[in-house]
Amino acid sequence: MVMKKKSVPEWLNSPLWYSKPPDDRPISHYNTKTLRPDSSPPPPPSPPPSPPPPSPPPSPPPLSKSPSLPALLGSERSDLPSGEPSPCRPWLEEEPRDSELLVDFRITVRVTLHVVAAPSEQLLLGYFPLDHTLWALELEKKMKQYNKLKDDLLLNPSEITRRMEASAATKTEELANENIGLLSRSEIKHEDHPLSLSKTSVWNQYFQEAEILEQIDRDVKRTHPEMDFFCGDSPIAKTNQEALRRILIIFTKLNPSIKYVQGMHEVVAPLFYVFRNDLDGTNATFAEADTFFCFAELLNIFRDNFCKQLDNSVVGIQSKMEKLSQLLKRHDEELWRHLEVITKVIYLQVSPQLYAFRWISILLMREFNLTECLHIWDVLLSDPEGPQETLLRICCAMLILVRRRLLAGDFIANLKLLQNFPNTNISHILHIANKLRGPTVD
Amino acid sequence: MVLVLAIGDLHIPHRAADLPLKFKSMLVPGKIQHILCTGNLCIKEVHEYLKSLCPDLHITRGEYDEDARYPENKTLTIGQFKLGLCHGHQIVPWGDLDSLAMLQRQLDVDILVTGHTHQFKAYKHEGGVVINPGSATGAYSSITYDVNPSFVLMDIDGLRVVVYVYELIDGEVKVDKIDFKKTAATQSAH
Repeated sequence: MVMKKKSVPEWLNSPLWYSKPPDDRPISHYNTKTLRPDSSPPPPPSPPPSPPPPSPPPSPPPLSKSPSLPALLGSERSDLPSGEPSPCRPWLEEEPRDSELLVDFRITVRVTLHVVAAPSEQLLLGYFPLDHTLWALELEKKMKQYNKLKDDLLLNPSEITRRMEASAATKTEELANENIGLLSRSEIKHEDHPLSLSKTSVWNQYFQEAEILEQIDRDVKRTHPEMDFFCGDSPIAKTNQEALRRILIIFTKLNPSIKYVQGMHEVVAPLFYVFRNDLDGTNATFAEADTFFCFAELLNIFRDNFCKQLDNSVVGIQSKMEKLSQLLKRHDEELWRHLEVITKVIYLQVSPQLYAFRWISILLMREFNLTECLHIWDVLLSDPEGPQETLLRICCAMLILVRRRLLAGDFIANLKLLQNFPNTNISHILHIANKLRGPTVD
Repeated sequence: MVLVLAIGDLHIPHRAADLPLKFKSMLVPGKIQHILCTGNLCIKEVHEYLKSLCPDLHITRGEYDEDARYPENKTLTIGQFKLGLCHGHQIVPWGDLDSLAMLQRQLDVDILVTGHTHQFKAYKHEGGVVINPGSATGAYSSITYDVNPSFVLMDIDGLRVVVYVYELIDGEVKVDKIDFKKTAATQSAH
């Protein structure tokens, strides 16, 4: 694919950003198609990206890691000047500025409300084909798919059995005629009765999933209690909660390997919020279907974090936390030593397991408010190094940002601080994270 | 989708020691939302057991029940249906459908659950449906010794009820089902 470069967009030239000339970085680590850059951040929406081959929609349910993932909207990236002195962490002394957003979009969730419409996100999550004209069609198609999924998976067993019979014989005529008399008994097919203990029974599966469904219910009710959009008694909140519930249930049923893990609701919530409040009214109606598919894509990337069996393996969440530790050690040895060695309490040190688990598994949703989170996700997903690496870098940056307080605190104070991360300027964090870029830790 | 268990005439410990094992393995807590018990349990332990299956338990008094506080009749509404419960030894002749229909009109219910005869029956007349879950332990009755253990599970879903009949025949559990709808016609002018 030909990568057409666009000249530096206006907004990049503003004094907020680094004024150094942009450095061109070879884009793909992934063999995907590249595109003309789409500058989705503010001001006027740029012309839609030129049509490349549309990325195949993630169907059927994105169980496997779809290779079609990112449609790279290649672009330039303003790189940091390389001549910066590395020790003494000079970036901390610099004035915090807006982070160098990687204009290198691959897949991303969009940055909040002041940004252009939802299409950019859907694009970025590889959800939309890159041809602008196909979007409407795609939306329709996805909506149908979603409705079908709802139909298939959200039924309770009574309805399922009824449907199975309806396709069989029609005995309803007889029932209507029978006014008086002994009711006729009919055979049950396939041993499917409510108390059945057999694995193939619809009822049995229903009861086994009931526990997970209860968990989903509870989590949905607790999503974002500070936002009226989700919480409270208003009918809007209720419908939104219902939508979230449905999305999570369908996802759970389609992915029996990872099922439902507490925290997934945190990831769906901002997606749904953004799609629902879409500036362009038409897209809002498709919000639920879109959220579902984008959520599935997103989780696909981070799938390994949620799989229990992989917890202790090389790709699981334990190893991620190990990597975080190594990253911190590499960039800020003093802090690392302080956290892991000096402030030990018996054999408990302030290791990533204690605070970073939540950071990594829920993609930092709980540490920041909604708008900040979306900003982070944007960066996360548009980084050429890959979302996993970027996430670790951001976590490392968060640690480095509060290093003064950490160095001054003991085990308990540090733990408290890290588990209730203080409000900080997101741009600053991202800025630092950017600086931490480098050869990946082995 | 509400699951209602109709069970009764266990006669534990006088005429039977316990429920058949195959029934017991199927009756696990967490699946059933209501239990309608026709009576003749007879002792408190059986009451506790049923209570453990489902907290919403309704019992009417059978002639051999040791707890005298159970009512003679009970009515409740589940979904769109009104259900009535009565042991049945009060209705003479025992098991006579016309007399039971009288009771049904009296209680003004769509589905009447009675027992005492230890024989499963599901009968429809203009006033509604009468269901007799039989005896869950297969205890002998005042009428006959030849009794198959049986009970009934109703799945109430809107205006439709699916009645699953569980019977133990020759040591095997046999499940049948009966389907009926509540239409405007069956609702007599009350």
